[in-house]
Amino acid sequence: MQNIHLSATAATPEVDFRFDSHQLSLKGESYPENAQSFYGPLLDAVAGYLATLDHVHIAVDVQLAYFNSSSTRLLMSLFELLNDAAVKGNYVTLNWHYDEDDDTILEFGQEIADDYPSLDFHPLALVA
Amino acid sequence: MGLAAFHRFQDLAREQNVVFYYTGYFSQAVVTAMGDALRQRLNRSDAANVTRRKLFSVFMEMAQNVVHYSADPLTESDDHELRRGALWVGESDGHFYVVCANPIERDKVARMQDKLEPLRTMTNADIKALYKEKLRADGEAGSKGAGLGFLTVARDACEPIEFDFVDDDTSTLFYLKATI
Repeated sequence: MQNIHLSATAATPEVDFRFDSHQLSLKGESYPENAQSFYGPLLDAVAGYLATLDHVHIAVDVQLAYFNSSSTRLLMSLFELLNDAAVKGNYVTLNWHYDEDDDTILEFGQEIADDYPSLDFHPLALVA
Repeated sequence: MGLAAFHRFQDLAREQNVVFYYTGYFSQAVVTAMGDALRQRLNRSDAANVTRRKLFSVFMEMAQNVVHYSADPLTESDDHELRRGALWVGESDGHFYVVCANPIERDKVARMQDKLEPLRTMTNADIKALYKEKLRADGEAGSKGAGLGFLTVARDACEPIEFDFVDDDTSTLFYLKATI
C-alpha cells in the first residue's frame, strides 16, 4: 500500500497516511471546493489499506482547526471505516487534537466517540 | 455610476461599519482570498477566539453556498464553479454579522422556507440536536454539501437567523443574515 502525503493548502489539510507504519494524520483546515472529490480517493485508499489488516495497532491523529459542513460528513465516513476495522479485531487509537477553547471541534470529537465506540478516543487539548 | 454615487456608497458602507462587501461572481479562489482577508482583519480586532471561529465558519458556509447554489452560474461543471451573489460582513452593536444574497430558482423557495423557518424559533440546544440527527442521516439528493450548511450557520449564530426572498423579473433573490 502506497503511503499518501499531501501538503496543506489554504482549504485542505495536510494528509500524512503512513500505511507502512500504521500512522494516519490529518492536520490543518478543510473547506475544499468539492469535499467529495478531495476525500473520496482518500477514503478509497484507507478502505483498501484496512481490508488487509488483522490485529494491527493503528494510530490516528486529527488536528483540524476548522472544517466546513461538507467536509464534516466525509470525516464521519473516515471514522466509520476505522471503527469497522476496530470491530474486526484491529486496535485504533484516535488522538483528537483541539484548541482548548474550541467547543465545536471538541463536541464533534465526542460525537465520533459516541457513534464509533470501538475507537480508542483521546481528546487532547492544545493549550494556546 | 458616477464617482459621486460611488462616494455615497462608500460613505454608507463606512457608516454601517462594513468590514467588506463583495458582489459579483464567486469562485472557490475568491472565497479563499476573502476568508484570508477576514482572518487578518479579525486578528487586528479584540474579538474572542470563539467569535472569530464562528464568524469564519458562517462566512465560509454562506460564501460556498453562493459558489454551489446560486441560480446564476457562469460555468456548467461542478468543479471550478463560478456563480453570482453578494456577501457582506459588518459590525453592529458589538456583534459581527454576515449577509449573503444570491438568485435562486423560484420553485426552490417553499423548500428553503421550510428548512429555514424552524431554525428561527429553535433553541441552541434544539439546533445542535437537529445537527446531530442530520449528521447521521443520509445526504440529501441534490445537495453538494452535507445538507448541514444552514444548520451550521444557525448553530454558530448568537441570534435567530434572518432570511428573505425577493422576487425580481426572472428569478428570486435569497437573503440570509446571521449575527455572531
